Amino acid sequence: MVDFSIILAGFGDVFTPFNLLFVVFGVVLGQFVGAVPGIGPVMAMAIAIPFTFGLDPLPAIAFLVGVNKGGLVGGAVPAILMNTPGTPDAAATAMDGYPLTQQGKPLKATKMALFSSITGDTFSDIVLITVAAPLAVLALKMGPVEIVALMIFAFSIISGLMGESLIKGVIAAALGLMISFIGTDPEHFTPRLIFGFWDLFDGLALPSVAIGMLAISEILRRMAEGRGTEGQGILVPDTGNPEDRRVSWVEYWACRYTMLRGATIGTILGALPGIGSTAAAFISYAMTKAASKEQESFGKGNLHGIAATESANSAVVGANMIPLLTLGIPGSVTAALIISAFMIHGMQPGPLLFQNQGRLVYGLFGAMIMANFINLWVGQAGLRLWVKVVSAPKAVIFSSALLLCFVGVSMATNGLFGVTVMLIFAVFGLLMHSFGYSMVIFIIAFFLGPQFEKSLSQAIALLNGNLLNIYTSPVAVALLVLSGVSVFWFLSKRTNEEADTTNLGVPDGETLDQKNP
Amino acid sequence: MKFTSTLKAVGTAALIAFGAPVAAQDWEPNGPVTIEIGFGAGGSTDTMGRVLAEVMKEQTGWNVIVENRPGGGGVAMFTSLSQRPVDNQTIGMGVGIPVLVQLVQRGDELPFDIDSFDYLGTIAKAELALVASADAPFDTLEEMIAYAEEQGDMPLATMAPPQVLMMNATTKASGVDFNLVTADGGAEVIRLILGGQVLAGFASGEHFPYLESGDMKVIASANQSRLSYAPETQTFIESGVDAYVDAVFFLAMKAGTDPSATAAIAAAIDEAVQSPEIAEIVRNAVQGDPINMGPDGARLMMVDGLENAERLFAN
Repeated sequence: MVDFSIILAGFGDVFTPFNLLFVVFGVVLGQFVGAVPGIGPVMAMAIAIPFTFGLDPLPAIAFLVGVNKGGLVGGAVPAILMNTPGTPDAAATAMDGYPLTQQGKPLKATKMALFSSITGDTFSDIVLITVAAPLAVLALKMGPVEIVALMIFAFSIISGLMGESLIKGVIAAALGLMISFIGTDPEHFTPRLIFGFWDLFDGLALPSVAIGMLAISEILRRMAEGRGTEGQGILVPDTGNPEDRRVSWVEYWACRYTMLRGATIGTILGALPGIGSTAAAFISYAMTKAASKEQESFGKGNLHGIAATESANSAVVGANMIPLLTLGIPGSVTAALIISAFMIHGMQPGPLLFQNQGRLVYGLFGAMIMANFINLWVGQAGLRLWVKVVSAPKAVIFSSALLLCFVGVSMATNGLFGVTVMLIFAVFGLLMHSFGYSMVIFIIAFFLGPQFEKSLSQAIALLNGNLLNIYTSPVAVALLVLSGVSVFWFLSKRTNEEADTTNLGVPDGETLDQKNP
Repeated sequence: MKFTSTLKAVGTAALIAFGAPVAAQDWEPNGPVTIEIGFGAGGSTDTMGRVLAEVMKEQTGWNVIVENRPGGGGVAMFTSLSQRPVDNQTIGMGVGIPVLVQLVQRGDELPFDIDSFDYLGTIAKAELALVASADAPFDTLEEMIAYAEEQGDMPLATMAPPQVLMMNATTKASGVDFNLVTADGGAEVIRLILGGQVLAGFASGEHFPYLESGDMKVIASANQSRLSYAPETQTFIESGVDAYVDAVFFLAMKAGTDPSATAAIAAAIDEAVQSPEIAEIVRNAVQGDPINMGPDGARLMMVDGLENAERLFAN
């Protein structure tokens, strides 16, 4: 165990004005790039790393963590205000956030996102600081066999978001899986479906697909709908009621279980490599919806929907540091970038990091907690600004959003190839939307497909080629039973609903009904 | 006026005095020099490439920028590099073995071969080791083979096709089968070993913290020679398996580049590789010292490497 004086010294290090300044700078930058569609924290961190060379390790790493945390808060802003998520993580936030904007409550929705994001983040930071080591050991015991079972469980939960047509949901998932097969196979590294394009060797880039389908196609659709109309636009005028501009304590407190559930899901998935914040957000949303007594209000502006997704995706950030710091294993791209920053500053995360660099690690923990507070303050001020920004005329908003998506994706994927892919998927997204297929299901299947395939092939190798040997892992068996139960439950509920509700003709997993909020 | 001309004179004198070595190279880039890295941001190639760019920028005054062009272990980057016109200032940085494997496996589908590039030099060599948890019931490759034979089923993690080929060669030499699990990079191999899902696996540096903490041990060197940090551990070759993999981080430009440009850039790389910053990042990334084989050495490494890769696949 690290000496207590080192812990105190570490926490003390954060409070030098210089170090705090870098945390503030990181958070501001992160919120900005998160809120601008198409750029996102991963990009910003990759660009910022060389600039941290000249710094001491603590301000450098605290700055990068600040960018990461700020980015998750910022990502929710365009999702809520314009229905165009800036990062894939925020796609689920749009489902209830955008309807609130349409009802004239943009500030209420973004503030709820901010508060639940920081609640989830703080929760996972506390878990990280207090029980990182034992949790990391536990996470290690989750081998490929258990991960496969966990992913099947995740799929079964997300199937609750399928929308009104089961068949269309399954088709969307199958398409997403098929698209995820593009690139090398994880077992023999043979290229599949690349048709001579070596840029596809590692598969389609998530930013291209996600931004194309979620952001570009939405902007194109809105432009088509708004044809002929002009000027002011995408914000419904303020209701004038001050209640609609803030989140009251009662409203926040009412979401406590939702946020706790989201934070727990985010923390667990963050500690396990490979599943990630996007999946955490959707799982949390689906579980919250399933547990709610007023399911029909989800997708129409329920604060619980925002609380569920934002608490979960932000909790992943802190929890990602659990395997990173204790074992040196990155759980996500941003975590890999933080490891590379550690390496540049002469340290290797792993079992001896707490012993050799205890003061730095606790300094980092202090910086993470401070970053949460700063996130809250910067967010409070920044949200007003963003709400002002989107009240500009549609012509300005849409064209600049399109431009930023192009720039962001070309930067994230290093070139115009990624932009072409983005445009193809924008058209594909428009088609899927007009035929009533869920893009969200598609994206999740695309996102989790490669990880699922890899874990499955590893699991098959470990089980000697016979999946029936799965009984050797009680955890996996338990998760599979749970998956069966949840699918059965969702299906039985679906038949009940079909019997007594009128068909609105809109998949209820998405916010499609924009003309009649 | 007078002051300005004095300033100019001093400036010229300074340029002559201090700028002489640069002028001797007789080549200056026209705009930024780009290092295209064949892997994504955050990996060891990327980290070393970014530090290299930074040091080159400081030492030469050129504007050196870094771009990631991931895909196929560098194949996507080298494909695009070979397809664009020569611009005298775009450098590709990659690792030898994944490119060589693709050249052997599907050379006829690729638009480039070894001769498509002018080589500039190397920066480091990754030492590939077979590692196991400290409490594994074997210490050497021979003991591991014997243990696997006794158990009849021993899970072992690999992270790339050449390692699978090495294990196939091991099976061929010993007659013992292994249960190979493909992992996504060294960090995952470490996770599988620590979690007890596999008993041994290949790693190229990710295991160093665990050697230091005593949680892991090195079973064999997968390189042609022994490991610098574990000189008493035998190689696969010494243990009777005629196979090895050498992974060298190298830099190259499109063939046909102006020789004065390649000479100047190769000299700049050589100077940068000798800097303490590069020494530190290479030590952190691969636990070894920076190695610059120079333009001829890098080409030779690729030619020899291709022969070795062909032999591995023929096995």
